[in-house]
This record gives sequence, structure tokens and C-alpha cells, in this order.
Amino acid sequence: MTSASRQGTGSQQVLAALQTALAAEQAASYGYGVVGARLPQGSAKQGTATADWVAHLRAADKLTAMISARGGKPVPAAVAYQLPDPVQTATEATALAALLEDRVAQAYLGIVALPESGLRNFGAQEVRAAALRAAAWRGSTQAFPGLPTDSLRTAGDTPPDSATNAAP
Amino acid sequence: MADRSASAGRIPAPGLSRRALLAASAAALPLLVTACRGIQVLGTPPPPPADVRTLQSAIAAEEAMIARYAAALKQLAPGSTSYRTIDVAPYASARAVQAEHMAHLAQLKSRLIEPPGIRPSTYAPPANPSATSRPTSTPSPSATSSSTGATGPRGVLGELELAEQNASDRLIAELGELPPSLAQLFASIAASEATHVEYLRAARQGR
Repeated sequence: MTSASRQGTGSQQVLAALQTALAAEQAASYGYGVVGARLPQGSAKQGTATADWVAHLRAADKLTAMISARGGKPVPAAVAYQLPDPVQTATEATALAALLEDRVAQAYLGIVALPESGLRNFGAQEVRAAALRAAAWRGSTQAFPGLPTDSLRTAGDTPPDSATNAAP
Repeated sequence: MADRSASAGRIPAPGLSRRALLAASAAALPLLVTACRGIQVLGTPPPPPADVRTLQSAIAAEEAMIARYAAALKQLAPGSTSYRTIDVAPYASARAVQAEHMAHLAQLKSRLIEPPGIRPSTYAPPANPSATSRPTSTPSPSATSSSTGATGPRGVLGELELAEQNASDRLIAELGELPPSLAQLFASIAASEATHVEYLRAARQGR
């Protein structure tokens, strides 16, 4: 593989990761509209939902700008999104907010996997922000925000890119 | 016949005296000893790569954090001298967070492939000036106790909050050259530790 084609592949990886994060932010923005509508009018929780909704809108704007700056075409948001479960009550709305944040955290972990250190740091900061919002909605913490359970190792696994401390 | 051939096998070859055989054996002894020393005679093994050192440091830091929580839990336990109110929330909160640190430690250790004969606890953390905000070696119980010298549940939780924030910041600062999957694990643990800050703060403030 030539240097130019390697650079092209890397640039495609960056754009793909940014597009994934953008899609998650757009879905979260839509989802918070539903969350806010199901929380008691004028309640503190509804205020929090509004603040989080604005945070996701801003994050989507930032990702849109980052994709454009790298020569990509930001994928526009869908008109509507399929919710994982019906949301009729405040409890269901709170659970949806936590789930939206989990998915946003997972999407930003894709950016953390990129080799560019600036993007890694950006992705990690956003994972942290999403985890904080998720914990606030859930009322409890998680050991591995954003990481799917099946990606975690159990004893005896040999991961593909472990740090190997063995003599060459 | 069988007896004669067997005994013939033990007779030295013609021309080699018993004294010559002994001398040859003595000369071969240093070679034998050198061979037994194996790879050590080839020189000092190279230091582990940077990602391995970073992972070892994170493992040591996680072990130190668990020890810190163990010391804090002693102070928060009902019946201890610093426990003056009938409120189990600080103790339960600290215990829940400690369990998540144990999960972090297990995952970090699972990412390190070690040669036989090396125990993780024998690693010396790398000299890293930026790591001073977080303990990188497992402290002795007395050292841990003195580090949580705060009085009362609120003081203990306040110190844990500070340690968690430092831990989260440090993990993000170390993402640099890690392999992608390990960088994702570090980022996820950093996020978890940031949520611990808020969780402990809520417990400290009785929310």
C-alpha cells in the first residue's frame, strides 16, 4: 500500500467515525424531544432534558463542521427515528435519556480508536460528557460506559491488540 | 554374549586414558554452566514498549485506588470512630464504586500478556512526572490510611472525589500511542471514574 493510499484510507476512517458520532448526536437530539415531552412540565428534570438536548445540538454542529473541514459531506438528520421502546411515562422517558447517552458514548469511542491524538482526546472528552449525563439520568454509575458487554474480556481470552510484555 | 557386549560398551575407546577423559570433562564444565544460564548471558532484556509501560502503570494505579477505597471503607464503616451518624449511604456508595474499580482492574489485567514467571504486582511503575497526581504503586495500608486523613464521612468522600478526578484526567492524558482497543478501554474507564466524582459528591451532600 502506498503512502498516499494509506493516507486516503486513514482519512476515510476518520470521516466514517465522525459520521457515526454525528448520527448518534442527531438521534439523541430527536430522542430528547420525546424525553422532554414526557417529563412533568416545568420540572427540574425537564430543565435538565432541555439542557442536554441543547448540548447534543451543539455537538452535532461541531461534528458537522469537523466533517466538512476534512472534505466530507455531513449526513443530514432523519425526519424521525424509531424509538427502542414506547415512551409514555416519566420513568420511561428517563430510561430513554440514559440509553441515548449510552449510544452517544459508544459512538464517540469510535473516534477514540483513531490514531490522531487530537481526535482521540476529543472523543474521550465526549465519552466522559455522555457518561456523566447518563449517570445523572440513571442515578447510578457504570464500570464501562460506551463499551458493549461483549467487547469486555473474560479470563482466558487473548485480545487482538493487547499490550504484549514478552521478549521479542 | 549379551553380558559381554553390555560390558564392552562401558570400556573406554582405545587410546583414551581415564586421565584424558577427566580432563576433557573439566574443560567442558564452563560451557555447560554457560548454556544453563540461557538468555541472561546475551545481555539485559530490553525495556517493555511504551504501551506496555502505560498499561502497567494503569494497573498499578487501579490497585492503589482499590487499596485507597479499602482504607476509606474502614473509616466509613458503622462503628468506626469517624462514623457519627446513622447513615449507611457513604459506606454503600464507596463500596459500590470500589466494585467498579475491581472490574476496571480485571479488564486492564486481561489486556496484558506477560511472560511466565512475572507477577503483575512486581512491576515498578514507570518514572513519569505527569503521573504524580495519582499514586502509581500499591501503597501500604498505613500509607493509604494517612492519605485518607480526612475526618468524618464527608471528608473521606471528598478525598475520594479528588482521587477519582485525577485518575480520570490521567487516563485521558495517556491515550497517546495506545492500540485502538486499549485506548477505548482507557477512555471508558476514564468516563466511569468521572461519574464516580459526581456519585460520591451526591452521597457526600446527602442527595
